Amino acid sequence: MSAEVFEPYQVFVRRDALDAMEHVGTVMAASPEMAVLVARQNFLRRDAAVGLWVVADADMHSANTDPQFFAEELDKSYRRVDGYSDNARRWKRFKQQALQLQDIVRDLESKEG
Amino acid sequence: MRTKEPDIATTEDVREPVASEQQRVFLERIDRGEKIEATDWMPDEYRLLLIKFIQMHGVSEIMGAFPEKEWVPKAPTLRRKLGMMSKVQDEMGHGQLLLSVVQELGRPLGLTREQLISDIFTGRTKFHNVFHMPAPSWADAGVIGWLVDGAAIVSQAALLDTSYAPYARVLKRICAEESFHMQHGESIVLSLAEGTASQRQMLQDAVNRWWESLIFFFGPPDVSDAARKMIRYRIRTKTNEELRQKFLSRYVPRIHALGLTIPDPDLHFDPLSGLWHYTAPDWAAYGRMVRDNTGPMSQARIALRQQAHEGQRWVREAMRAGAAQLAMEGARA
Amino acid sequence: MAQDDKAARGPSVAEGAALVDLLLQMADDDLVLGHRHSEWLGVAPDIEEDVAFSSIAQDEVGHAALYYELASQLGAGDADRLAFDRPVGERRSAAFVELENGDWARTAMRHFLYDAFEEVRLDACTRSGWQPLQRAATKVRREEFYHRLHSRTQLHHLAKAGGEAFARLEHALADLWPYVASLFDLGPHAAELRATGVLPADAAALRSAWEAVVVPELSELGFGVPACGGTDATSAAHRGAHHPALAELLTTMRAVLDVDAAAASW
Repeated sequence: MSAEVFEPYQVFVRRDALDAMEHVGTVMAASPEMAVLVARQNFLRRDAAVGLWVVADADMHSANTDPQFFAEELDKSYRRVDGYSDNARRWKRFKQQALQLQDIVRDLESKEG
Repeated sequence: MRTKEPDIATTEDVREPVASEQQRVFLERIDRGEKIEATDWMPDEYRLLLIKFIQMHGVSEIMGAFPEKEWVPKAPTLRRKLGMMSKVQDEMGHGQLLLSVVQELGRPLGLTREQLISDIFTGRTKFHNVFHMPAPSWADAGVIGWLVDGAAIVSQAALLDTSYAPYARVLKRICAEESFHMQHGESIVLSLAEGTASQRQMLQDAVNRWWESLIFFFGPPDVSDAARKMIRYRIRTKTNEELRQKFLSRYVPRIHALGLTIPDPDLHFDPLSGLWHYTAPDWAAYGRMVRDNTGPMSQARIALRQQAHEGQRWVREAMRAGAAQLAMEGARA
Repeated sequence: MAQDDKAARGPSVAEGAALVDLLLQMADDDLVLGHRHSEWLGVAPDIEEDVAFSSIAQDEVGHAALYYELASQLGAGDADRLAFDRPVGERRSAAFVELENGDWARTAMRHFLYDAFEEVRLDACTRSGWQPLQRAATKVRREEFYHRLHSRTQLHHLAKAGGEAFARLEHALADLWPYVASLFDLGPHAAELRATGVLPADAAALRSAWEAVVVPELSELGFGVPACGGTDATSAAHRGAHHPALAELLTTMRAVLDVDAAAASW
């Protein structure tokens, strides 16, 4: 049986300055420096990117694999936008519309601002 | 170190009545169309089926680099040279992606990358029949890209909905790159079809050479025990014959449109059954060739891979030793 | 200002010949080394490196195609014909890139020495008074960043391992060194290229810039660097004194073309 010579590294890519790092795969390499070099060509020979991370597999920690770790069973609408959809109806009484984030973004983008 | 032999033939049937609670829950997940992750509990049988199947897929990509590699130095224009280099690079890249999936699956069994590669020359893993065959002309480079990759895309696209999520993710990227290969192969083939009489003859000869191998590529029509289990686990969802039929429907009209003939006088579409009829290759003989590595190019290509891997083990070991030395000096500085 | 005027005017007939010769030196070097690198396809020491090194090979061939295209625009003929049809006697590549690959150590060492050379030649070209070359060199120089990083990182790993790897690298360096001089032969138009500002450097300046980069690094890694000099008077010191392996390489490159001379396209 053949023992491993290289070590696995997990590879993460940032495609654009506004994107989060995205996991794209694994490479085998002799060192973190070589892992970065081979990951560049194994995962980004066609796609553009602005960032690349490699993390030694041994340093990766993941969430508990039991799906219960991600359980969200009860109503959590109080922490979401759609939990407040009745605002629009209630504003009508005051002859106003509910304010949305995109209204503010639009204000800031408009030249008159 | 491997602690278990992935001997699928002797594993018990998955639908045995005494299946454990874990197995029952797992099969329910499969039936609901859920995707399985490497860290999820899975039956040994599912793991071993995946390892064997994906290792063969990955190794076939790596061995599939060889027939085309021969045409990189001979490619007749700068653009073709670059296209061929890029294509062979993708084959190796696909091998890299697939073997990484196998390594993760095989970790509980102690499977290493080194082992997955040396399994090629110890005969513990197999590669697809087409990569045992010679590619003696430039037209073969075109036909491999056009028809062999065409067949590969049919079978890989059919796996996109596989139940094993890491495989599905890798296949998504592989299929995207294969569509470049398809265009690249078609471009070569079209140039030959538009060319001189001798270029057209070269193309026809290559089609003649590859036809039977292409028919065999999808495997025998009867559904083996292993295939039945793969379908039960939704590792794959289509049978060999379904895939072969899809391939024939897509490609036979195109081959004829180029004015080429197909070396099978019995090949025809039967409108009643909605199926293509073709002359069956000698399934057993092809099967033996793949199992025993006795194709025309099997041994030469296996020797190349063995030399690359074992003959250059010193490079990998030196890279590792050098890395340790550099880290030590870095820590001192 | 004078340079802008010249760029607008285009090169004179005499400058054109000098320019074409320089472009063919650069193109032939990159094509031949790209071809050599591509011989590692499928057989590199590990799968990830196979993929990475292939990108470097593709870049070299791609850079060659760019220089052939520039030569073509100066009336030297079709880029593919320049790449495929010229006999050995007309080739302008250096023997350094023509030599067979040998083992991975020789490949790694040549990669290191050549990409350092490309860097200094391209640096000079980025100061060229001929804008098309200046622009091409600026682009190529950006792609060469990765090549340099890859070649240096790999060489440092292998050299630091000591033992067999170090011995193989030492051997490779000794094999390659006599051919280094061939890279710095800028051809019969060198004086004119410099005088007209097309290539604002001479061979001695390029060589000392190169030595300033590679010699300290090699020494630090423990390699005994052979005697350095402005010009080595070895038989391989001139472009045109091709390595015997070039003829075979060119025959291989023509293998498909020679099957059907009447074919118009492939």
